[in-house]
Amino acid sequence: MSPMKFHLSHLQAMLLFALLISIAFGFLSRRRPLDRMKYIAWSLLLFLLFGIGIGWAMYPFSH
Amino acid sequence: MTDETQIAADPPPDTMREARAIAFGVAGWLVPGLGHALQKMWGRAITFFAVVGVLVFVGAGMRGNLFNSDGGDAFAALGYVADLGTGSFYWLAKYIEVGGPDVSHAYGDYGTRFLAAAGVLNLLAALHAYEAARGRKA
Repeated sequence: MSPMKFHLSHLQAMLLFALLISIAFGFLSRRRPLDRMKYIAWSLLLFLLFGIGIGWAMYPFSH
Repeated sequence: MTDETQIAADPPPDTMREARAIAFGVAGWLVPGLGHALQKMWGRAITFFAVVGVLVFVGAGMRGNLFNSDGGDAFAALGYVADLGTGSFYWLAKYIEVGGPDVSHAYGDYGTRFLAAAGVLNLLAALHAYEAARGRKA
């Protein structure tokens, strides 16, 4: 079997991780489809906001 | 007297329910989503199987560090516990990651997090299946 390789960028990895975890949390904690959709959207938004926010907060220390 | 003997011989319903719940929890740990599938919670079953599967597949494809039992320090032991949380998918990750881990690049480090997150998420899903079987969650 040839080794598989995924070379995801920082943003791609964060987006994929945030999406998958948000979907799992939505299905875990809510029962009705509409509630799940709302929870997934809200969780994804917060993941991205915090991820990008922390990224920008660390930016001055990288220079 | 005979009635008392019969009552004592039959396990109480709560014990049966508890044993069933533990079985569902263990099944959910071994195969992600199976604990919910056995309770006919199809949406959750498919979701957990797919999410844990994709996290393991991508994490191993990014050459994340898949810990084993002879890690040496506490963090490696914790990582091993987290990775074992994926149940049977731990061996799937080992099968996919034929080149071994490579954390010299950022994506290898992300892969390690993907694998650990998959394990912890599956443990959470297995615990949910156990609680649902006990009637505490729906």
